[in-house]
Amino acid sequence: MTTFLWRRLVALFLTTLAATLVVFLVLEVLPGDPAAVMLGVGAREDTLAALRHELGLDLPPVQRYFIWVGNLFLGDFGKSYTYGVPVSELIGDRVMVSVPLALFAIVLSTALAIPLGVFAATRHGRGADAAIMAFSQIGVAVPNFWLGLLLILLFAVKLAWLPAGGFGGWDNGAWAGVRSLILPAVALALPQAAILARVTRSSVLETLKEDYVRTARAKGLSREAALWRHALRNALIPVVTIMGLQFSFLLAGTIIIENVFTLPGIGRLIFQAIAQRDLIVVKDLVVLLAMTVIVVNFIVDLAYAALDPRLSGGGDEP
Amino acid sequence: MPLLDIADLTLRIPTVEGTAEILNDVSFALNRGESIGLVGESGCGKSMTALAAMGLLPESAQTRGAIRFDGQDLLRTDEAGLCAIRGRRIAMIFQEPMTALNPVMCIGAQIAEGLRLHLRLGPGEAEDRARRLLDRVGLPAPRFSPQLYPHQLSGGQRQRVVIAMALACDPDILIADEPTTALDVTIQAQILDLIASITAETGMALIMITHDLGIVAETTERMLVMYAGRIVEQGPTAEVFARMAHPYTRGLFAASPHAAVVSVGSTEGRVRLAAIPGQVPDPVHRPAGCVFADRCARQTEACRAEVPAAMTVGPDHTAACIHPVLGEVPA
Amino acid sequence: MSLDILREGRAKRRIGGRNRNLWIGGAVTLVLVLTALISLVWTPYPVAGIDIPGKLATPSWTHPFGTDHFGRDVFSMIMVGARNSIVVAFVAVGIGAGLGIPLGLLAAARRGWVDETVMRFNDFAFAFPALLSAVMITAIAGPGAVNAIIAIGIFNVPVFARLARGASMSLWKREYVLAARVAAKGDVAIAIEHILPNIAGVLIVQATIQFALGILAEAGLSYLGLGAQPPQPSWGKMLNDAQTYIYLAPRLAIFPGMAITLAVLGLNLLGDGLRDLLDPRLRRER
Repeated sequence: MTTFLWRRLVALFLTTLAATLVVFLVLEVLPGDPAAVMLGVGAREDTLAALRHELGLDLPPVQRYFIWVGNLFLGDFGKSYTYGVPVSELIGDRVMVSVPLALFAIVLSTALAIPLGVFAATRHGRGADAAIMAFSQIGVAVPNFWLGLLLILLFAVKLAWLPAGGFGGWDNGAWAGVRSLILPAVALALPQAAILARVTRSSVLETLKEDYVRTARAKGLSREAALWRHALRNALIPVVTIMGLQFSFLLAGTIIIENVFTLPGIGRLIFQAIAQRDLIVVKDLVVLLAMTVIVVNFIVDLAYAALDPRLSGGGDEP
Repeated sequence: MPLLDIADLTLRIPTVEGTAEILNDVSFALNRGESIGLVGESGCGKSMTALAAMGLLPESAQTRGAIRFDGQDLLRTDEAGLCAIRGRRIAMIFQEPMTALNPVMCIGAQIAEGLRLHLRLGPGEAEDRARRLLDRVGLPAPRFSPQLYPHQLSGGQRQRVVIAMALACDPDILIADEPTTALDVTIQAQILDLIASITAETGMALIMITHDLGIVAETTERMLVMYAGRIVEQGPTAEVFARMAHPYTRGLFAASPHAAVVSVGSTEGRVRLAAIPGQVPDPVHRPAGCVFADRCARQTEACRAEVPAAMTVGPDHTAACIHPVLGEVPA
Repeated sequence: MSLDILREGRAKRRIGGRNRNLWIGGAVTLVLVLTALISLVWTPYPVAGIDIPGKLATPSWTHPFGTDHFGRDVFSMIMVGARNSIVVAFVAVGIGAGLGIPLGLLAAARRGWVDETVMRFNDFAFAFPALLSAVMITAIAGPGAVNAIIAIGIFNVPVFARLARGASMSLWKREYVLAARVAAKGDVAIAIEHILPNIAGVLIVQATIQFALGILAEAGLSYLGLGAQPPQPSWGKMLNDAQTYIYLAPRLAIFPGMAITLAVLGLNLLGDGLRDLLDPRLRRER
């Protein structure tokens, strides 16, 4: 187990480093003059020079890279050009919106998808299975931001039960915050759930054909007991892996959904930063998001090893 | 009263191409403590017979006849009733040990599962019994701990675990469906010995399903030969081997490598295996009359008129043929 | 053995014309492509045709889908939007396949550190969803359809690389490859002659799926304003505009969204149908 983990840990480290390198190359080296990008075409030469100095652009790129990465590791994300406040402050506030949203969506989609997938597998070939698969096909095709719009149309415009956007704020009580996150989380969760339900269903169907399920039934376990005690744990292993892979899609989805519902999260921040050409913020955020995906994939690897003793068990293979 | 009495068991399964006649009028009885062999080529229906007894047939299967276990007709027992019998009174082990065990569960738990389910043992007691069962099947401590996972065991070792699981609740009948086909020859012998010693010790009845006549000869007291879903010959093993009556059984024996070994002394050098010409008929299109007629050297018009009834050809020995081969099998 | 009969029967049913996915998906995709092609030469109204007095009209015989906030005919805009979506998704798939497949084949052919490097690169690329790449490109180069194409294309590369590698892994060890190598055939020639034809099936299926994903991604990017810029119509942008008028004219949100959903659905069904069609044949080859 430890060799497997160490290898993944090293991969994690290297991938993160690679991510920072790419972001740096694309956002600082590639454009040639970041200061010009930030200030736009009509900027005056002295403003440009001042900005270049402030950004430390007089130093050679390699040195700038290491300073930047070093600072990142120390938690110093630099100062936003537009807002003038430390980027970490900006991120801190926004994270309190984005992370709950993402978690909410993950919980919703899993809670919906896995039972549906298992149910569809047990009713294989019958009406319920076909219906669930049909919904899943549609769910995968629906753009999540359109779903968000439709939800707003129904629940905010027509029924006025929930807000059409904006964030109630955690300061105004937990419910105000949650209330603002319900529609966005549903919009995020449904397409994910559609994919997950299909994966779960096919994984369970495959597992039910395995010999050890037959053995379990020959021992006297009922169909349900054989499913729950033997098939499911094996069937969920590939599902967990898929969930990990889906995380980067979830992230992209959060960015869009935050813009649909005007939630003050990381996604909105990126957009505002682009609009304002605040390259400092953009750099930091892109690295942050890439790192999140990488770390989540690492955690999924951990979960995979925990679930499957073939990976964690020591040698001893005959 | 026989322990297991199968009467006119007929099994049909609807398929896209028509209804497949998997079993037709299969009848035999198994007494307490008896070891019988069910012999035939792949596809003759021997495994399906066992699955029918266990109630593990696919949902679309249509059955007729009766399978009486200790008086109770298993074909007319509901699922809950069957679950109570499976593993507890009739146990079954299968052919592929490499995939028969749940890879994410340790072997101790898998053995204990039956104990906790049927005998309602507590976790501690069940673990103790599992440990003792592992000893009994030749997987002693400390090398073979109940905490091991299947992937840490070889094929033969896994099959021993499977046997331990089958034994756990002291069943009355053990059905072994080709238990050694997937194993190396030396391991085969060990597993067969293990099964033999267990059945002798516990008085369990044994149904040994196999295509290997050598195994039948070693492990069974009575044997049934199946072909295309029907029983074509049955009788005490020694008797059948000595005086095989059905042409198919003779053909099977001649085609078996064991026959070549037995008929030593042939002056023609290496004996060639005699293949039975033709193929097993498609389950969807069974021929009228005797199912074996098309491949039989002794066939006549009468063979196709109707399905031959079982004729007595020796003491307690019947063959479903109107032209049985009488006389001793040449040595 | 009898259970095999059941399985064979099911398989035959799939191949022989009961493959609903293939027909429905194919039909929808065809409609999509035709719409896009027709829009090249004709649309009911010019998409730049601004008609303020006639804005936000409800669907009628003259305007089947109504008009938007500028008085433009929604139906025509949907048609041209189809063209936009298809082009972006198609080129993106082209980039992904064009770069990814050779990479994957290379990794499978050479193994060793080449393989490791490609795998690491793949892992890394998966951390940058299309949206993130688009964000980066837009930050320095400004928004536009080309950026969307590049961003989506970049994300397609690891998908095809991983697939090509996985599918061809066992094939490189086959005897005809060894024979070809003995005959001093270069790996490129071997790849083209022997490997690609065998994995073409899975690649085509994946390409169809990625096409569908590309349409979704393009819609998302143009919703955010990162894709095709006005006055070029795009389905995503139409949805964004519709959101502003959600209280006044909620119907504006329906059509573009349905168009996207139907296009993606059609392509997904086509991909599934192709997979069912090719699967048993693939197995026979192996």
